[in-house]
Amino acid sequence: MVFPIPHDTTPILEVTDLQVELVTADRVVRAVDGVSFRIGRGETVTIIGESGSGKSTTAMGVLQLLPEDLAVLSGSVKVGGVDLLVDRDAARRIRGRMVSLIPQDPMTALSPVHSVGKQLTGAIRLAGHPRSAARARAVELLEAVRIPRPAEQLDKYPHQLSGGMLQRVLIAIALAGHPVLLVADEPTSALDVTVQAGILDLMLELQERTGIGILMITHDLGVARLVSDRIHVMKDGRFVESGEAEQVVDAPHEEYTKRLLAAVPQLGTFEEVPA
Amino acid sequence: MATYLAKRVGQSVLTLFLTITTVFVLLRLAPGDPAAAYAGPNPTTEDLERIRAQFGLDDSILVQYGTFLKGLVTGDLGTSFSFQAPALDVVLERLPYTITLALSAILVTAVVAIPLGVWMARRADTAKEFGANLLTITGQSMPDFWSGIMLLTVFAVVLPVFPASGFTSWGGLVLPTITIAILQIALISRMVRREMTTNMAAPYLTVARSRGVAERALTWRYAMSNSAIPVLTALGTRFAAMLNGVVVVEVVFAWPGVGSLVVRALETRDYPLIQATVLVTAALTVLVQLLVDLAYPLLDPRVRLAKTSKKTAPAVAAPEGALA
Repeated sequence: MVFPIPHDTTPILEVTDLQVELVTADRVVRAVDGVSFRIGRGETVTIIGESGSGKSTTAMGVLQLLPEDLAVLSGSVKVGGVDLLVDRDAARRIRGRMVSLIPQDPMTALSPVHSVGKQLTGAIRLAGHPRSAARARAVELLEAVRIPRPAEQLDKYPHQLSGGMLQRVLIAIALAGHPVLLVADEPTSALDVTVQAGILDLMLELQERTGIGILMITHDLGVARLVSDRIHVMKDGRFVESGEAEQVVDAPHEEYTKRLLAAVPQLGTFEEVPA
Repeated sequence: MATYLAKRVGQSVLTLFLTITTVFVLLRLAPGDPAAAYAGPNPTTEDLERIRAQFGLDDSILVQYGTFLKGLVTGDLGTSFSFQAPALDVVLERLPYTITLALSAILVTAVVAIPLGVWMARRADTAKEFGANLLTITGQSMPDFWSGIMLLTVFAVVLPVFPASGFTSWGGLVLPTITIAILQIALISRMVRREMTTNMAAPYLTVARSRGVAERALTWRYAMSNSAIPVLTALGTRFAAMLNGVVVVEVVFAWPGVGSLVVRALETRDYPLIQATVLVTAALTVLVQLLVDLAYPLLDPRVRLAKTSKKTAPAVAAPEGALA
């Protein structure tokens, strides 16, 4: 069903000194300015930052999904030891097979005119399964992401499912090619709070079963604290603080991280703060 | 589905009735006397009155309209003044020529404009696309009477490859088809380009790319399927408009269709012929629109599955209430 990833000493993802320059109409913006990190088997590494910090650009850079004519990448992005910035075709080969994306907004992430089943079996067939086995495997995958009555859901269209269900479908699609790395670009930010925890639990459970590595992009400290092994705090294209999850959240060194933590609303007694 | 169809057919009948009534009244309010057109030079008052009586034009508009409606029920649209034959027969005789030309033009348009639009979308904002864009703008800017005459001059007169006029062989179809298609290709290809660029920038396309879907499939299976409805609507509307008679092109190429017929009917104030032409072409237009609407559910599941809640149906649904 979902196969465990073999133990290996090579990191699943190794990013070294990645720079991304975005060409805009009148200037060149260095959106990502020399970041380095690695993800091993079964690890979740989180990049946390505000909008515009470069966290999503980093994720899209890892997947080589930035528009080729607008983004210039340098440094190295090694997936399973292969540098995607050297071997440009490698990105095309590994997408869906070694690395998968879990998108930010599940409501717009599936083609509205194709059924869920068609898009899922399409991904399954891209992973090399024969047409005859695709539907059975689709049902298995939907079961794995805890979708009730999976066989029925296959014939539905995206607009007939809720955001949480669609995100589960997208996780199933992401898993179709037995990837070793999931890139989750704010996977819960478009979902209801009540649904968010379910999606995160599912991702962690799948990670436990398969040893898949996760690159989590988020602006949500709660999410980061819950899922991460390591956290990188990103600001203006650079990591301003990196460390083990507990250390970054409980004992931050940097002023920016402290401010970020202080910005989280706390439940407690209401006290009017004098100006 | 049956209810929907019945409703649409009812609407169509009402549309046709209002159309033909408007035309009937406007014709008689417009200046110009049919009798004068048939009487020959220097007619006497008696001649004119005799002709008016013969055509039934000496009755009041209301009486004429009553006679017309009575005929309409039995399928009799009156006798053409100039052809001295049932007006409907005269129109139906010309209709196959217009349908042939319209079909030929819309097929050429679709076959050229869709791949061209996709090609432009895939090369959006490059020098190549700029060149193609320049061509389409040129095509859009050329009046059809001018491009028609140019094509005639070059390919029928200077290099007599195709016949200059009429429909004596299939070769005669080529130049009028191209003349119409130049403008339509320009319009449709730019529209396909716009729809495709929108859909190629959609999040689902990036997500599909992230799971390894090949570029060719992204373009044709994903972006094209999502562009299908607006493109089909545009093609349907264009086709319906062509069925009303491609007047200028039919006149330039002496094409024996309803377009050149209606020009002649208007010149001679041939009321029954004008009315028959309008009724037949309007009926065809309504039919084509209905077929296009019926195709929507096949192309978009959101329309297909929204039939239980008509109020929330997408904006692509039929223009209901237009007559209310």
